Amino acid sequence: MNWREQLAVYRQHFADVMIGATLGRYEHELRQQTAELNDLFLLLCFMEATGLPNPATLYLLEVYPYVLDQFHQWHRRMGIDHSPLGSLPCC
Amino acid sequence: MLLNALVEQQVVFFGGKGGVGKTTCSSAFALAASQRGKRVLLVSTDPAHSTSDIFQKRIGTSERELQPRLTALEIDGEEEAARYIADVKADIQKMFSPGVISQANRQIEMAAASPGLVEVALLDKMIDLIVDRSGTSDLIVFDTAPTGHTLQLLRMPDAISAWILALVRHRRALLEIDRGVEQSRAEAAAADPVLAALERRHERLTELRRIVTDRSRTSFVLVAIPERLVIEETARAAEQLGDTGISVGGLIVNRVLPDGLEGEFYRSRKAQELVYLEEIGRRFSRLARVVVQQLPRDVCGLESLSHVSAQLVG
Repeated sequence: MNWREQLAVYRQHFADVMIGATLGRYEHELRQQTAELNDLFLLLCFMEATGLPNPATLYLLEVYPYVLDQFHQWHRRMGIDHSPLGSLPCC
Repeated sequence: MLLNALVEQQVVFFGGKGGVGKTTCSSAFALAASQRGKRVLLVSTDPAHSTSDIFQKRIGTSERELQPRLTALEIDGEEEAARYIADVKADIQKMFSPGVISQANRQIEMAAASPGLVEVALLDKMIDLIVDRSGTSDLIVFDTAPTGHTLQLLRMPDAISAWILALVRHRRALLEIDRGVEQSRAEAAAADPVLAALERRHERLTELRRIVTDRSRTSFVLVAIPERLVIEETARAAEQLGDTGISVGGLIVNRVLPDGLEGEFYRSRKAQELVYLEEIGRRFSRLARVVVQQLPRDVCGLESLSHVSAQLVG
């Protein structure tokens, strides 16, 4: 490994440290924002389970399996041990 | 004025108040177009199908050839919904673990029972016919359900599109924050199956909208008879169709009494009819109008249908 390559490696390490430090600082905020967006997305998907009409229900059927895990995370985060929706018995 | 120009279109809807002769007129128009060399698909979306009766042949939910170049189909919303749901279940079967599948299936079954799903399934079948399979026929003629039902159906793509668009926007925002440092925005979006599914739906709805609001490709023909209540409902329908962006290509005034008959009853009816015809002429002055005279017998079978065809397309 010549000195140029060595320098590139150090440079990469330095960049990683900087990114890590920046992300670390905002991570909590970012996570919270992600969670909020996720909740809204879930509400839009499972709206008819809460009794509100949803015009796109038919087209969301194929999306359900992908968002089941997020639904599980949501009710745990809300402090609900078991799924609050009878139609969605994830645990 | 005849409906000759409409033969060149890609999609023609026939609609109006119940019992005015939508099926008769749409069947006669489809027959006329097929006799002029077009490959025509006649589709009934009215839950009370009567295309079978008029052609005196059992049609049903799979396409059936009635005449050279003329095929027909009667769509059933319930059946389309069931088929759609079965397809989704089969699709996810391949991609997820049994645990996820059984949970997803329960949610899917619950959603399948929600109101309005049948209409969306009906709409999806229409998208299938209009967007995905436009190559197999030159002209699709829709014999629709009575006015209110059909207007609701035609307004649905906008509502669903707006909804899906909102979901897409949220999903993108979510991916934007959630993607790893090593992933670009485009990569994250391309890798997300949820976004892909939503965008695919949105594209089809947009394409449907593009075709049905293009006045050179799609027209709506209103069918009416010279009677008070029918005139009022037809006027409302014409106005509301304007809101959906679908162009109204003509008005058929059906079941007009023939000229030159005798008798007190006939003269009285004819005098009243004239008043209504005049009113129709005044209120729908901007629409191309076609008068179809009442025949001495019911329209049933090819021969009587061709009498109506001759009055629609010349």
